[in-house]
Amino acid sequence: MLLTGLGLGIALGFAMQRGRFCVTGAFRDLWVTGNTRWITAFLIVIAVQSVGVFTLDAVGVISLSSSAFPWLATVLGAFLFGFAIVLAGGCATGTYYRAGEGLVGSWLALIFYALFSAISKTGVLATGVSGLRSVTVEAATVHGLFGVSPWLLIAVLASAVGLLVRHHLRKRPGARLATLPPRKRGIAHLLFEKQWGAFTTALVIAALAILAWPLSWATGREAGLGITGPSSNIVNYLVSGDAEVIDWGVYLVIGILTGAFIAAKGSGEFRIRIPDAITTVRSIAGGALMGIGASLAGGCTIGNAMVNTASFELQGWVAFGFMILGTGAATRLFITGPSKARSARNAAAAGSPSQATAPGPSAARASVRR
Amino acid sequence: MAVHVLETDGQVCPFPIVEAKEAIALLDLGDELVINFDCTQATDALPRWAAEEGYPVTNFDRVGDAAWTITVQKA
Repeated sequence: MLLTGLGLGIALGFAMQRGRFCVTGAFRDLWVTGNTRWITAFLIVIAVQSVGVFTLDAVGVISLSSSAFPWLATVLGAFLFGFAIVLAGGCATGTYYRAGEGLVGSWLALIFYALFSAISKTGVLATGVSGLRSVTVEAATVHGLFGVSPWLLIAVLASAVGLLVRHHLRKRPGARLATLPPRKRGIAHLLFEKQWGAFTTALVIAALAILAWPLSWATGREAGLGITGPSSNIVNYLVSGDAEVIDWGVYLVIGILTGAFIAAKGSGEFRIRIPDAITTVRSIAGGALMGIGASLAGGCTIGNAMVNTASFELQGWVAFGFMILGTGAATRLFITGPSKARSARNAAAAGSPSQATAPGPSAARASVRR
Repeated sequence: MAVHVLETDGQVCPFPIVEAKEAIALLDLGDELVINFDCTQATDALPRWAAEEGYPVTNFDRVGDAAWTITVQKA
């Protein structure tokens, strides 16, 4: 039964790699460009999944339960996690699937994320983390707080997401979107080449996120998709040899890595890529802070912002908000900030008398590497 | 018409698109910007950015495993 986790993980990793589904990118776009296309895709996953989750709960396949909301740790942890994913260049799942594409920076982020998750959940930081998480308020869910049916919230969310989707489908650019020239045919083209739409990818991921609930439940792990707990479990298994910690979630995350590798390799998008010094340091720091942040907040962008939101837990929605704020802070510091310095450099380079004229593809500007 | 080359290999997203925006701002109308990149997400982000800005894409291709090039004309 645990193997269903591996299968689902492979499908998820495959879909994320081919669909270019990046939660960090979705949050970051809000601050860098103000673009809401990917955050809309992310909200589609939440809305569709919430319909599935509450249906499964209603028919008795799963039974949702909730506990008091650890508001302080959620606020602090989510902000920290949102900040860290910009440094690491990907959230937890993003880091898993980019590791499968051969990015060594993501390997480092992943190792430090798993290590610091274990340190925060069961290691030297565990006392502090559980201390902060013991600061709670009695309310647990959004529908509980307002005393309404969850179906009302689902209807509101679905309507809002529907409007966003309509907005994006209407403003499709007039110019044809450039695509890569096809080199494969038939099923190989469909699986390993054809570009997926953001919203199609979201629907595939939503279906997998719903399916995760009953499959995980059947093995005794009473939850939906989750990344941080399983990553911590892998570290605990490796250092203690205790096979008891290997659960459905461990198979899931190994599946994500495998599925992303299959997708990347099959489409010629796998290559071992070594980061430069700054990216290396940022990946390590980002990974470590992600582990602490997700453990404090009770989940990452998937477990909290995509899954606990679908079950309308306060922790999920508050974490979602503070992750976006954390992403904004890091974006200001590391992306829009340093780019000002780069702009100055670019202007100096472009101003130098090296303007090439057509038709030769001469470089008018020295290559700029960060 | 001049052709300018922006090398972003080794840079993770969103730096390829951030740099492309800065670079194209400095070009004259009709100039082309060749952007070489190896961040997978940019295969989605760069052509979409070009389409939304109304910049014609005169070339978009793979140059190897996980390596791409796109040429955007300032219009």
